[in-house]
Amino acid sequence: MRILSSIRTIAAWEMKRSVTMMGRHVLPLAVGLLVLLVLVTSFAAQSGIHMQDGMYRIGIDDPGVARVVAPDSRFTITIADAHTLREDRSAYDIIILRGEVYAADTDKGRAALKSLERDYEVYVSHIAAGEPDLFAAYPLWIDLEYVKSEIDFVATEGGQQVGTVVDARDPPVPSGPVEAVPLPSSAISVSEDDLRERLAETGSDHPLSRYTGILSGSSSVYTLKTPSQLSPPLPFDSIILVFIFIFPLYFTSQFFMMSIMNERVGRAGEALLSAPVRSSAIIVGKVLPYFALMLFISAAITLIIGAPVGILIPLIPVILFFLASALIIGMAARSFKELSFISIFFSTLATAYLFFPTVFANTHVISIVSPLTLVVLKLQGDGFTAAEYLYSTALFFATSLILFYAGIVNYREERLFSTKNLISRFADFISGGIMRDHPHASLFGLALLSIPFVFMVQMMALVLFFNIPMPLSLVLLVVVAAFIEEFAKSLGLYAIARERPGFLTLQNLLIAASVIGLGFLIGEKLLLFATLAQISESIFGSALFLSLGVLWMPLLLHIAGVLITGGFLLFGGRRAYVPGIVVASVVHSLYNLYFITGAPL
Amino acid sequence: MNARRIGLVAKKEIFGLSAEKTIIFAILLQVFIAMFSSFLMVGLTTMYDPEALEGYSTVTYGIGYAGADSPLVDLFRKRDDLVLHRMDLDQALATLRERKIAAVIFVPDTLPDAEGPVTVTLYLIKNDLQSSIINVKLKEVLQDYERELREVRADRMASFPVYLNFPKVGGAENFFEFVYGLLIPLLVFLPAIISSALVIDLITEEYQRKTLETLVSTPVTFTEVIWGKITACAVLVPVQAGAWLLLLGANGIAVRGAVAIILHASVGGLFLILLGALVALHYRERTSAQFIFSTALVVVFLFVMAVPYNPLNLMVRLAVDTVGPIHWLILLVVAGVTALLGWLVTVYAQRVGEAGAA
Repeated sequence: MRILSSIRTIAAWEMKRSVTMMGRHVLPLAVGLLVLLVLVTSFAAQSGIHMQDGMYRIGIDDPGVARVVAPDSRFTITIADAHTLREDRSAYDIIILRGEVYAADTDKGRAALKSLERDYEVYVSHIAAGEPDLFAAYPLWIDLEYVKSEIDFVATEGGQQVGTVVDARDPPVPSGPVEAVPLPSSAISVSEDDLRERLAETGSDHPLSRYTGILSGSSSVYTLKTPSQLSPPLPFDSIILVFIFIFPLYFTSQFFMMSIMNERVGRAGEALLSAPVRSSAIIVGKVLPYFALMLFISAAITLIIGAPVGILIPLIPVILFFLASALIIGMAARSFKELSFISIFFSTLATAYLFFPTVFANTHVISIVSPLTLVVLKLQGDGFTAAEYLYSTALFFATSLILFYAGIVNYREERLFSTKNLISRFADFISGGIMRDHPHASLFGLALLSIPFVFMVQMMALVLFFNIPMPLSLVLLVVVAAFIEEFAKSLGLYAIARERPGFLTLQNLLIAASVIGLGFLIGEKLLLFATLAQISESIFGSALFLSLGVLWMPLLLHIAGVLITGGFLLFGGRRAYVPGIVVASVVHSLYNLYFITGAPL
Repeated sequence: MNARRIGLVAKKEIFGLSAEKTIIFAILLQVFIAMFSSFLMVGLTTMYDPEALEGYSTVTYGIGYAGADSPLVDLFRKRDDLVLHRMDLDQALATLRERKIAAVIFVPDTLPDAEGPVTVTLYLIKNDLQSSIINVKLKEVLQDYERELREVRADRMASFPVYLNFPKVGGAENFFEFVYGLLIPLLVFLPAIISSALVIDLITEEYQRKTLETLVSTPVTFTEVIWGKITACAVLVPVQAGAWLLLLGANGIAVRGAVAIILHASVGGLFLILLGALVALHYRERTSAQFIFSTALVVVFLFVMAVPYNPLNLMVRLAVDTVGPIHWLILLVVAGVTALLGWLVTVYAQRVGEAGAA
């Protein structure tokens, strides 16, 4: 009860402080800037975005043809007679002579040709949409149906062509049971007016229409398309979600980061620390207003774009993750510039982690690694299952909780106001989690808790590597995964060796290695069991999570890894730490490679 | 103002940056993103350009065909990368589910010159890499069929579009436009944004840590301190922008007019840095200053992007070599505006400095 009331006091105090500070100086200018923003936005909407103006040069011999290209500002148009155009052939990326298109044989020429083809399609559909007889202009319609096939991840990894071997010219025969399917009717179920409207929509050439399309989810409503409307899922579309949802969230988390930093500048937070409140109450109280604000912002954005409210659910772990990281960064940075750089670095990592998997939304199961994919799915009207939710957000929840825990444990005077450099501060944070009396139990816990982070980094690596050609991607993944694991396992040991050099005896090292190995294995099993079944079935999964098959082998491997690093630490001192990790990673990789390349398991 | 003393302050700030290893973070950041730019190139081209990887180019896809006869059969026969199998629809769908074929197409018995449309049903595997490729290939075939049908029904049309005949270069997605039209200008301008945020940190930190008095008690004046910090940040812009262009080059993306691009980035960057310095001098507190500055940044960027021949557009044009000498004129204009802002910062700093001394 008391902790609740102190949380409330601190939350109210935090709100009051930021409101007064903002109110006095910032608000008038912010309002002014907002008005300016509205003005500039309408100006930009009128004038258009002039980023890619004049990228290509095109030469045309007929002003009638030039009308096709005219709306596209990417082209600089030159109208001249055929002879002159042919003379300066090399000055143009494309020339059009009597209806024949010639493109330069360069990447640029091909890109220009692609853009021209799209412009031409827009132009043709513009003309055709005005036809009185719609089905003369658009005689062919395609009803797109998707069939679910269960072997998703395993089948497509590394771009392998599983199942499409068509050497034989005989038609393939299904081996499983055949379900009877009703033949699709040839009648069109949509009214002609609807079709016309849809055509007019595609014809509008606003560069942002593609992006607003995903937000309103309009593309999924119509399965009936003309051939030119057929398009593979475009990979960059979901970046709009990063701008719309993630950027404001990241921005707001900065205020929290700064609030933590401000406590430390000039020891301003000393009064609060000496007050009779627990550090958990301070942090929860400070974080609550920002959490509420971020949730409110997301809800407002959702309402504005008219999206289903369900997309807020996958955003919650993202908010928590941002706030937890903001807490740690705010506690660790020594100066403002360090704060800026770490937070920019972090935000790039986080954005990449969130964004890149969504590139493959609808294309590949790997995309579920990011909660943003769930947002994409929800916006498309597909929705997501509880299992998918757990799968894509478990790591975010787990890492946020652990980071908050680390922040609370370390929210103490000697940590907040120390001026050590970044690496020793992080080491301090880690040793803050190690209890003096039960170092082995703490090491066990630390290894257990490091698992979500290890998985996150490994997922990142998986996203990065999975479509590099096959053998290379697997080797890279094995080596990187081994390194990450060895690094994570050695952290606790390193922190102890730094703080208490006397602790590292041969006996203690043996015990420590065993408990770390055990903790790591248990953590791995627990998390895998809960979430990652889909990935662990594939060959990439076996590279990352090899430890599933037999229990004692990976346990020995994990212990051996820690022993190697620990041995280097013991005999070579802290300077031998890095070589120790490298050697341990090499051993770990060799073990993994041995088993992947067909060991008798 | 004394240039030597400004240089001293600038040097001190840059040393401070490298001592705190923040520079290392900045470099890590660049390398990290550069990793992704190669990821974008390799990964996405692989996905959308079937010819990009050796493995893909030899693959032939099986397509199940069900329903009535149509000219589509002949159109498919013309292609060597698609093999048509005549099957029953339920058989075909079961085969598709087992991934023994890549797509199924069902054609109704509508006559080519019928009143209504020909509605073809296309079945693809959901959530699949291969479906994207098949999609591109089938689109070409279907567009050919649409053209044939249009010719059959031509007498019912009222107006005709200008006819253009395009050369065949394959239906591959091309990333030239993305890389040159978006990635390069954004990457090159990123250092400018980072530097302008940095100058706010450097200035507000002196206020919030109350270290300013010590600094001003030395022979260095307040204005010189500010300009020293501005110089330190401004120097970083061309260095980082150059590093980007080198990294892109290492990724096989050749950028023309690199020197001119870096010049544009430096001048534009200096403008943003001065803007940041002005905001920081006004607020003297990081949270407010960064908040106002980032909002202002959005306004400035949106405005600049809406103006034809803006510096970002010039970078694109320079990178693809389609710009005339006009960009020097624009550089001059931007430099003029920047100089004006610089004068404003100097006057403001002098006023603040005098108020502090009094």
